[in-house]
Amino acid sequence: MPEEPYNPSPIGNPSVLARRNWWQTMLVKFIGKHTPKCREMVRILSQSMDEPMPLMMRLKKRLHFLICCWCQRYEEQLRYIHQTASRFPEHADQASSAPFAEDAKERIKQKLAEQIR
Amino acid sequence: MSPLNVQTAAACWVDDHGECLYRFALMRVRKPEAAEDLVQETFLAAIRGYEKFGSRSSERSWLVGILKNKIVDHFRKLGRETSFTDMDFLSDEFSEKFVAIGFWNHDLGPHEWKPEPDEVMHRTEFWQTMRDCLSKLPGKVRDVFTMREMDDVSSKEICAILSITDSNLWVMLHRARMALRECLEMNWFDKAAGGTA
Repeated sequence: MPEEPYNPSPIGNPSVLARRNWWQTMLVKFIGKHTPKCREMVRILSQSMDEPMPLMMRLKKRLHFLICCWCQRYEEQLRYIHQTASRFPEHADQASSAPFAEDAKERIKQKLAEQIR
Repeated sequence: MSPLNVQTAAACWVDDHGECLYRFALMRVRKPEAAEDLVQETFLAAIRGYEKFGSRSSERSWLVGILKNKIVDHFRKLGRETSFTDMDFLSDEFSEKFVAIGFWNHDLGPHEWKPEPDEVMHRTEFWQTMRDCLSKLPGKVRDVFTMREMDDVSSKEICAILSITDSNLWVMLHRARMALRECLEMNWFDKAAGGTA
């Protein structure tokens, strides 16, 4: 019997469908064949952070996630990065220790005082 | 809003928010003088627009919002000078992460991340890790990523500001996200510091 080229969702992996029986095996093979491969899926997931994903691709993504918890995690983590990155500027003083020169602070304070007067 | 109110508020801005604004500006423009100028411009604009600040957001969020616009303007002025040479970074497909036919290599795929985003917001080490990870990105890729994710500039506008094509932008953002995800996983989430928060 020829060896299968690759098993995208082997038994024991945490994805929803993991070839636990004949039906699941058929479904895993079908979905693996008819949805984008993970290398392509992660590219599409990144692009979907910037522009809406077409309906058909959204359906394919949902199907793909059934056999691939890794792509599902990848999408969750992109959202996580988006959420935290958007909060980064307000925490920039914690992220770095670059000193804000005292003379620059004084100069700015003076400029502000002049402006308000 | 009376001048007295502005005066009272503005007197505290430099001490309360100066470090934060300066460090963010410095990370973005990488030159101390330019960062100081941006902070000053931010505060001056804040004085002019103080009436519009209705305490709907925190003072810091409001000032950061002004600074972000100033930074985008800064890049807009530099726009045409931007060139991109980090081709090695862009061509790196993280190929070891995938098997030949394109599925994840299961041993190297994304791990589960904990804790939830809200839990890390107050952890100084997390922000330091994120800054370290951002600093590992090539300069132009970092500019594109921060403009998109931190300044919330639309992709079309970024292309116009930096004179790059749509497809170049997608590639840069994709590689930046992939590299940042990998770096955060290795240096925060896989370490006890991140996992036990």
